[in-house]
Amino acid sequence: MSNPGPVNPDVLCARGLSKTFGAVQALRDVSVDCRAGEIHALVGENGSGKSTLLGIASGFLAPDEGTVEIGASRLVHHSPAAARRLGLGIAYQDYSHVLDLSVAENIYLAAPADARPAYGRMQSWAEETLVAFNLDVPVTTLTGSLSLAQRQLLEVAKALLTRPKVLLLDEPTTALGPEDVGRFHTLVQDQARAGVGILYVSHRLPEVLAVADRVTVLRDGVGQGTFEAASVSEDALVTLMIGRPLTVAFPERRVLPEQAEVMLAVSGLQGERFGPVDLEVRKGEILGIAGAEGNGQVPFLRALAGTEPAIGTASCGGAKIDMRSPAGSLRAGVVLLSGDRRGEALFPVLSVRANSTIQILRRLARVGIVLRGRERQAMAELVERLRVRMASTEQPVQSLSGGNQQKVSLISSFLRGEVKVILADEPTQGVDVGARFDIYEALHAKAEEGVAAVVKSSDPIELSGLCDRVVVMSRGRIVEEIPRHELGERRIVEAIVGARPGATAAGGESEGTST
Amino acid sequence: MKRGWLPLVLMTALIVALGAYSAAHQSAFLSKENLNSLLLEAMPLILVSMGQAVALLVGGFDVSVAALMTMVVVVASFTLSPTTTGIAIVPGTLALVGVGIATGLFNAFLIRGLRLPSIVATLGTLSILEGASLWLRGYPSGAINTDFTSSLTSAVGFVPLAFVGVVVLAALADFGLYRSRPGLALRAVGLDATSSRRLGMPTGRTIVLAFVVCSVLATLGGFYLAAEVQVGSPIIGNQALESIAAAVLGGASLAGGRGSFVGTLLAAFFLTEINNVLPLFQQPTEYADMTIGALILLALLLYQSPVLIARFRSSRRPIEPVEAPAA
Repeated sequence: MSNPGPVNPDVLCARGLSKTFGAVQALRDVSVDCRAGEIHALVGENGSGKSTLLGIASGFLAPDEGTVEIGASRLVHHSPAAARRLGLGIAYQDYSHVLDLSVAENIYLAAPADARPAYGRMQSWAEETLVAFNLDVPVTTLTGSLSLAQRQLLEVAKALLTRPKVLLLDEPTTALGPEDVGRFHTLVQDQARAGVGILYVSHRLPEVLAVADRVTVLRDGVGQGTFEAASVSEDALVTLMIGRPLTVAFPERRVLPEQAEVMLAVSGLQGERFGPVDLEVRKGEILGIAGAEGNGQVPFLRALAGTEPAIGTASCGGAKIDMRSPAGSLRAGVVLLSGDRRGEALFPVLSVRANSTIQILRRLARVGIVLRGRERQAMAELVERLRVRMASTEQPVQSLSGGNQQKVSLISSFLRGEVKVILADEPTQGVDVGARFDIYEALHAKAEEGVAAVVKSSDPIELSGLCDRVVVMSRGRIVEEIPRHELGERRIVEAIVGARPGATAAGGESEGTST
Repeated sequence: MKRGWLPLVLMTALIVALGAYSAAHQSAFLSKENLNSLLLEAMPLILVSMGQAVALLVGGFDVSVAALMTMVVVVASFTLSPTTTGIAIVPGTLALVGVGIATGLFNAFLIRGLRLPSIVATLGTLSILEGASLWLRGYPSGAINTDFTSSLTSAVGFVPLAFVGVVVLAALADFGLYRSRPGLALRAVGLDATSSRRLGMPTGRTIVLAFVVCSVLATLGGFYLAAEVQVGSPIIGNQALESIAAAVLGGASLAGGRGSFVGTLLAAFFLTEINNVLPLFQQPTEYADMTIGALILLALLLYQSPVLIARFRSSRRPIEPVEAPAA
């Protein structure tokens, strides 16, 4: 393994990194270093800038400001190839596999020139390599047919093939069961003992603290300090991770009727990336879904909306939902507000009016001709209530702000007559503070009419302010349920990171979600 | 690799079937003269289709190839005029290759540098080249040096040497594509550019190179077009869609990362064979166009059938039940 020079023990040294995406400042003057032979944990909430930091360190993103040194050499040209040459290995959260190629071919592509054998020996060499990493995977299978857990372990093995000086791990255990996590950590510790510096990003505090030497905390793109892992408690770390200033107001809470009937009932729902999930949402209830990104929350909502295949059953108001297509779910009264507004929920070039009424034109027409007057009438009240800010209803939706765009997608789904269940995926992402309140209020108003709402959000403050109850998903399953009187940012974050005694975010499950 | 053989087998079967049918009805089909002219006729389409296969491998299209072939014919009527003799043929030929490389680099700049979709970028190049050809030669004129053309068409018996050359080239290219690391890397870039970049592969350079190779092969195809018409014709090249058809019939995927040069060669030969036998039966060439269209659809259905069947099944029964994880 690599031998760090005595001059500078840091194998990775990131200084003063800043990066903005559009209007969002993802990182602000963040510095992290990783010494040879140490396991350095990087923790923070969703959206705190962990992935951006790794993206810059690995050369995939170029920073707006700041420098990256790998093995005491400055990364000048920001490309993954350059970072690899300097001695950086990275296991991506969403992998670097070419899924249409075999396992052997993927391993071969990942190996540096001096480590790979002649092409003809690829197969047997790949087998030996996998044995060395204790991975039991047939090398001739297509990588796309591996389970998520196998893909995750293969990703780490590939990163190690380059014999890196510093190894970046981005949420490497999201698909692993407890047994695999144990074996994986043994591997990581072996690498550290051999002198590799490891920067380990994870939201699972107990897991990562069990192996880390030091911990760096990020919050809102700003570094909150680096600590010796042995001297800092989970409790103290959670305190550093949370505590963003409260900038949003929430509407007054409604009183949920004690014995409201069940509106949405989900039983044994299971898809490729989640499940099985059992869940009941009552009439008028707003249920929040929390969890670290990529733990099956979105696929679960999409399956209910009929846009992702799944098995199991769900019923709405007692009637079974036909989830084989979006039309089936819509017929049952289930409406999805997609997080991908531009791609899925709206027609960006069409007007506010057209976007609002496009699903109910039949109702607004007489002998096949749409009557403008009826159209305007139908949307007028909602435009007023949601306080959509625009010059005219004929304005293209793409010219509105994010918040107002989201309001338009709310109008169009509210206008559909028999909405019984609203599934909202990040309803306030990219929405300005003022507009958020309007959206919360609209969801409350709908709930008061008896609609059941399921809100997936990566913002614990939003969930605690908006919801009557929150469930936490991890590895595709619901691992905890937080009742209304316990809701709070800290309580939710603790559940997500598995820091709460007795919480089961990391334990108690077997491997993965699919085969 | 098992599915990879399907296009090769299918194309060979079609070539043999059509040949046997033609030979049974028209003894002229198997005459040495006809076989020689058939093989030479196939050369432009074979070469340009192999180029197209390279562009398809990295997930792109090049619809400017036919206009480039025309441009090569037109330029040849200047740089390789009958008065050019002896050693002067070499710079004249290199000038044509230069036109090809320049076109390829221009396409690559539009696609990688300006991030234009390849189909749009090369459509622009197509128009520019077509206009330039018409500007240089308003009508077919300017004879092309026969020393140049006859050296291209020299043959042993009825088999043109160049045909032997492209067969060897296609076999070597397939070997490289499926039996070497650069070939694997090329396919990886076509299948998944993001993962390839993450693995440190030079995805940009690969795509640039692919479009240059595509243009150079189209240029060589232009040589054989020049040998066929022997005059600077500004309206001769029309193989853009046929070249895509041949590459797809030969096993290429429009999504990138798949393809076979031998398969492409066979498909290009088969498409030429259709055009060649129709006059023997006094059939109009419109039938050829319709046949080709129908064949492409059939071949696509056949090649995609495993995927289509899987999709059909999954639409009826969502996913395999997974064993419930132990609590």
